[in-house]
Amino acid sequence: MSAASPFKLGVDVGGTNTDAVIMQGEEVIAAAKRSTTADVGDGLIDAVRAVLEAADMSPASVASVMIGTTQFINAFVQRRDLTPVAAVRVALPKTDGIPPMVGWPEDLVQAVGRHGYLVGGGSFYDGREYAPLDTAALEQAGRDIRAKGIRAIALTSGFAPVRPDIERRAEEVLLSVHPDADITRSNDVGGIGLIDRENAALINASLRSLSRKVVTSLKAALERVDMRAPIYFSQNDGTLVSTEYATRYPIVTCSAGPTNSLRGAAFLTGIKDAIVMDIGGTTTDLGFLVRGFPRETATAHLIGGVRTNFRMPDVLSIALGGGTRVRGSAQDVRLGPDSVGFELATRARVFGGNDLTTTDIAVRAGHAAIGDAGRVKSLDGGLVTAVLDRIHGVIEDAVDQMKTSSRPVPVILVGGGHILLSRSLRGTSEVHRPRHADVANAVGAAISMVSGRVDRMFDFAMGRERALDQAKQEARAAALAAGADADSIEIVELTELPMTHMKTTAVQVKVRAVGKLRAGVP
Amino acid sequence: MYTITSDIDVRDMARGAVLLGSGGGGDPYVGELYLRNQLAEGRSPQIMKASELRDDAFVVSIAGVGAPTVIIEHLVSTHTLLRLLEASESFYGRKIDALISAEIGGVNSMFPLALGTLAGIPIVDGDGMGRAFPHLEMTTFGVYGCAATPSVLMDDSGNVVHVHTTTNRIAEDVVRSVCASLGSQIFGSFYPMSGHQVKQYTVHDTVTHTLEIGRRIRKARESNIDPVQGVLEFLNAPAEGRYARELFNGRIVDVLHETRDGWHWGRVLISSGAREEPELSIEIQNEYLVARLNGKTVSIVPDLIAILDAESAEPLTAEMLAYGQRVRVIGYSAAPIMRRPECLQVFGPRLFGIDEDFQPVERLSPQATA
Repeated sequence: MSAASPFKLGVDVGGTNTDAVIMQGEEVIAAAKRSTTADVGDGLIDAVRAVLEAADMSPASVASVMIGTTQFINAFVQRRDLTPVAAVRVALPKTDGIPPMVGWPEDLVQAVGRHGYLVGGGSFYDGREYAPLDTAALEQAGRDIRAKGIRAIALTSGFAPVRPDIERRAEEVLLSVHPDADITRSNDVGGIGLIDRENAALINASLRSLSRKVVTSLKAALERVDMRAPIYFSQNDGTLVSTEYATRYPIVTCSAGPTNSLRGAAFLTGIKDAIVMDIGGTTTDLGFLVRGFPRETATAHLIGGVRTNFRMPDVLSIALGGGTRVRGSAQDVRLGPDSVGFELATRARVFGGNDLTTTDIAVRAGHAAIGDAGRVKSLDGGLVTAVLDRIHGVIEDAVDQMKTSSRPVPVILVGGGHILLSRSLRGTSEVHRPRHADVANAVGAAISMVSGRVDRMFDFAMGRERALDQAKQEARAAALAAGADADSIEIVELTELPMTHMKTTAVQVKVRAVGKLRAGVP
Repeated sequence: MYTITSDIDVRDMARGAVLLGSGGGGDPYVGELYLRNQLAEGRSPQIMKASELRDDAFVVSIAGVGAPTVIIEHLVSTHTLLRLLEASESFYGRKIDALISAEIGGVNSMFPLALGTLAGIPIVDGDGMGRAFPHLEMTTFGVYGCAATPSVLMDDSGNVVHVHTTTNRIAEDVVRSVCASLGSQIFGSFYPMSGHQVKQYTVHDTVTHTLEIGRRIRKARESNIDPVQGVLEFLNAPAEGRYARELFNGRIVDVLHETRDGWHWGRVLISSGAREEPELSIEIQNEYLVARLNGKTVSIVPDLIAILDAESAEPLTAEMLAYGQRVRVIGYSAAPIMRRPECLQVFGPRLFGIDEDFQPVERLSPQATA
């Protein structure tokens, strides 16, 4: 890369820390790590100011800002800041045996309420409508939802990926009686599979008011530090979306955290196949890199206990981090599962607190020089060894679970908690601790590409090649519209699912095109 | 007779039904959600042994017919199920005493349970194949002379079609045409039988097997035991005439799908370790039909083949297979009744265009792995 490459600012707004990196081409120019604050904007300002100072740069020289955040997924998993949602399903006379939210965890139902409405309408797989849109029932539902004081609506219709216009018409009807409604159409957040798509729409709808607040706060924060470059958000597959899009569709950012961490680790080491271990304050997340991309879950993915048709990085989380509390004695060590979390900087012994944490053990063992080592000098050496034994054992078991053969694999350690590991790990060939590993998420955000997707039925009567070409063209066009540089667009995923039991040539085709961000895209 | 009362049992049954689907039969997820909703509303399915049936009891099989991609959009309508029951009882002219699944593998394990729960009719612990097959005539019921029709077919819009054919093979063709004409998903009542017939011709205990398979996988995961071993320990029970073998452990290096005449054809290639050369190949025609290890047959229809996610042992349907997945493959013996010569005439390898004789999995892969 030449020196003329534009500067990019990558930011990761995590639950505990906000990290920022300045990158130019393939190079990390500067990095900074600050605490995440209750208003996420303040932490962002701290981190951005720090990284600009470290790079000795003015905000004006940054060409683009890429933000990855776990704010939305954390909120959903912890059932906080969720708004009540009404589920409107346009599908009668079909589907009445499985109303919305069957199988949802009870605490989640409590948080968003159970407000389901089934009305007539929907399409067969071939686009014919099996029932007319029941506008009277929709109006009734809209008025009822309005009377309940609910704004967020998840709107789903049968075979919406084939007939997206039915959802758009239904949306107009709802808005005509409930003008303040904030509607997520299922076709915008999911593919074929009504329940999974409806679930995705419900999750998205429940997060929208939070996403508006968070995105506004982050944008305002960047303005306050005179950062005028275009802002993007990382989504689940490691590609970018606009701030507008992230506000409307927070669900697409739900697994951007692990994706960015995995992609950042691959980038920093140049290793394409490895286990990536992100040791944070509370948990250690293990992912698997295959050819530079995260291995995805084979089966349906649950978000906060709810099944969706998003494919997510296959991540194993274990309750062990730098803030994990240590109890017991050398003969009877107990690790966590609780952690002091983001209060590490005040509650850990080395920072003057009273709680014994794994970080204190690492400092006492001489593996890390943070805080005041004098405060842990008197710790029993036997206890220290026993705790380190236990930590390595737990991690080795987790590595074993991620692996699918007995062959040793390389491990890339990222995240601040890597100080917990000091020995070689059973089942691994080598352990990499790349420079800037503690900000791998922000690096992953900074190197994000842009993508376009297609997931709908195509008629192969025109010939398979022509149909697939058309699908690829649509995906490329979507990537281009999302800001990709036309020359860099590649088709990275193509799946065909033929339909059985039909005298038809319809095939469900999923295509994903990915490209580099075009310079100067607003 | 026992009653399913917990959500966890229903989920275990759905997982077990996927394994018994041998790659086909459709994802039981929709049926699972239907049942969980029934449980939430206070209704529970009652499972009875075939031996508990009176000889003159009237038993009918309830099934959904359609494409897996369609059912996940159209789901299930309670109104349709209730109307189907009413139309069937009026058509047959008698009250239905018990329901039975024709196909325990996949989603059709669930619909008799769904209607039985809804209407308070017990479900027989058994089915007509102990797995999934693509044709209506491929059942032990059919082999032993029970007719698949007269039959009542129904869609969600209220269209009702009565089918009465001379052979079960023709019934299959007619039902398929009706299905295509009605948007590719219908429900129907098939194989009206007496209690006496059910006792003789059923593949027994398969409802309980779905529950037990799903439960073994879940329990092994919960106690950090290898879940594939966990389920093999249940499946491989020579004393009960059941044999299971782990055939392969590897990574999918190719998946080929195509549709020929409305059937899903395909082939999956699996390779071990770092090698890209395929070692295990599995032929797919809706279901996994034959597994060959370096060209040598190691499991063949009607014996079952299950492809499981390597870590979680979650059984994978043919639609779920993707390049790069780590999987483990199990061969599992079909029930003894399924391996009789007269049965192999109806669903043996040659019926699927495979020019080989059936050989039991325990002979093709002699070592027990459990």
